[in-house]
Amino acid sequence: MRLSSPQLPAALLILAASASACREQSAAPAASATRSAENSLVISRHDDRVFAGGLMPPAERVVNSEIHNAKAAEEGATLFTSMNCDGCHGGGAVGAVGPSLTDGRWRYGGADADIFRSIAEGRPKGMPSFGGALQPAMIWRLVAYIKSLPPPKDVPTESW
Amino acid sequence: MSLHRSALLLALSLGTSSALAQHASDGEWTMPSKDYSASRFSGLAQITPATVKSLHPVWTFSTGTLGGHEGQPLVVNNTMYVVTPYPNVLYAFDLTKDGYPLKWKYRPPVDPNSLGIACCDAVNRGAVYADGKIVYNLLDGHTVAIDAATGKQLWMTKIADLAQGETTPMAPFIVKDRVLVGASGGEFGILGWVKGLDLATGTIVWTATNIGPDSLVLAKAGTFKAFYDKGAQLGQTTWPTDTWKHGGAPVWGWMSYDPELDLVYYGVGNPGPYNADQRMGDNKWTASVLARHPGDGSLVWAYQFTPHDSWDFDAAAEMVLVDLTVKGKARKALVHFDKNGFAYTMDRATGEVILAEPYVHVNWASKIDLATGRPVLNDAKATGASKGNVKDICPTLEGGKSPASPVAYSPVTKLFYASTNSMCMDYAAVQTAHLAGTPFMGINSPYHATDPQMGAFIAWDASTGKRAWEIKEKFPVWSGSLATRGNVVFYGTLDGWFKAANATTGAVLWRFKVGSGVVGDPITFIGADGKQYVAIYAGIGGDWLLLSGDYRSDDPADVRDPADFARDLARHTSQGGIVWIFAL
Repeated sequence: MRLSSPQLPAALLILAASASACREQSAAPAASATRSAENSLVISRHDDRVFAGGLMPPAERVVNSEIHNAKAAEEGATLFTSMNCDGCHGGGAVGAVGPSLTDGRWRYGGADADIFRSIAEGRPKGMPSFGGALQPAMIWRLVAYIKSLPPPKDVPTESW
Repeated sequence: MSLHRSALLLALSLGTSSALAQHASDGEWTMPSKDYSASRFSGLAQITPATVKSLHPVWTFSTGTLGGHEGQPLVVNNTMYVVTPYPNVLYAFDLTKDGYPLKWKYRPPVDPNSLGIACCDAVNRGAVYADGKIVYNLLDGHTVAIDAATGKQLWMTKIADLAQGETTPMAPFIVKDRVLVGASGGEFGILGWVKGLDLATGTIVWTATNIGPDSLVLAKAGTFKAFYDKGAQLGQTTWPTDTWKHGGAPVWGWMSYDPELDLVYYGVGNPGPYNADQRMGDNKWTASVLARHPGDGSLVWAYQFTPHDSWDFDAAAEMVLVDLTVKGKARKALVHFDKNGFAYTMDRATGEVILAEPYVHVNWASKIDLATGRPVLNDAKATGASKGNVKDICPTLEGGKSPASPVAYSPVTKLFYASTNSMCMDYAAVQTAHLAGTPFMGINSPYHATDPQMGAFIAWDASTGKRAWEIKEKFPVWSGSLATRGNVVFYGTLDGWFKAANATTGAVLWRFKVGSGVVGDPITFIGADGKQYVAIYAGIGGDWLLLSGDYRSDDPADVRDPADFARDLARHTSQGGIVWIFAL
């Protein structure tokens, strides 16, 4: 809502900056990142969006710098508590005043890149921007934790 | 209209002679708690135990919003005023015309970031009328005054800072030319305060914090005298080093006023963080009642219900001012149903506790020691990160009664009417760090029911500290109460029933399914046709739904697994705000 179109390029710039930071940090395993396509991230392109004219926007491949950190999700879980994420999203991210992050439904997109952006830049309904408080690698660990949570328990039909 | 105005002036002049006189005529409802004494009692008597069976809906209005509809409408000069949850639209309905059409609506700009900073849903607890103005708080930390006749904004004042975790769901309180407001944020490490604004201009005249040094608390030598606590700088010395600076102490309930003593009373919320190990000491004046002069904000007395609160026992609930005979002695009393499970009958001039008895099952303390004013603690229920997960604490941090569910007092029956909950909690505190703009809590605290019927609507004798009767309910009761001279009391339930009961016996006389769970407060008024009407909001939400619902209260697309203690609630209600008006 507040992200009006004149602000959009600025947002993309921020994203590009964090993307390059990640690229630098994951410089060594670049080859494996190319090999493992499902772990590569397309920052400015989202498969779940509607493309104007049917055209996908130009994409930049960015690698989650934490994909080779076996403990990324575990460290992300610690961050989820220490950065007070659970105060809004609830323990286990099941939802409280903040949205549930385990229901498979996303206000701002559920791709890794979308979650990264939500944490780094914040969102207009009160999600704070953590980009000034957390290094990109720490945000990626949070992404890894959120993506590691058990699949949603809800089903389309509830009956009594 | 001129007749109404003169009646109002008459009532106002009477109001200065006695704390218990009506602030406005009984035909109207000009402030959230009905009158300065916060009685929520109306002298109207057309609706009685004999006639209430023919009560039926005559008008409804969809507010178009999904958050919890706490609070109540106002009725002034044959106009009904309704404030919605975020985005805090103000509607004015013409009660003289068929179908009660809109006179105007006011749609303020409200920062959507407040949705995430407000701890407990995007609620609003209502507006107040004075001097031709409707005054209310926007969730994002602004107070506005609107011309009651035209809907034009007269002033808007920024009172709170979202970046510091402050939001403003409470209803302002107006005494003479002073508008009193407070901020929520006990879960966000705020430094809690109340402010006194000038009614004519909105200018902030004074700010008084609830914690910190005397200079900030406005505790002046010679003016401030607590009944139990001696010494100076108590709001600072009862905290480790500077922890009071993020110590919470929000104000989000209902205020009251005694014109003879010229004292405003309000309750202060919880200390932060929830992990009590990080703030050893009493943490004054959190979980307390404060009495201040409204003109300059100076503190006259204070009493702490829950020293070193380790259970989120906000004392934000209303302080009802009544004259009672207790233990054979006539007392100018203040009656308060605390979240901590005790109902207190106090001397409102001094802050002395006259009696304090549990109104629900309580196990964190065995009693209140009347000699010291302090609870006698059960050490096994003390919490903190060093104590791990402490099990089965009663009541829960929602309170034996929620401060969001104000009581009513009937001078006819001399009974209080209160919405209560029979539940307990586990409380696992953890170390937490303050990070501005994020929660400052350190807690995991699931609830469980102690009774398959988790709620009750009770009648309470504050002279003796005993229940007169109770109506059991399947779910926690979260609505406000209304008492009337017709001897009928009203309340609503989370499963969407609006009910009327005999004030003397507790017999349920009438009920109607209002379309969504009730967390609002009923009111009554006289219509343009001279008939008595009753109004209530439906619209489940607030803290309960965040914790028990199977979706986020304002977002049906955000689905969740419902809490164990209320898995069945979604079968009986869904979200959505509706204003109901009933008549005989």
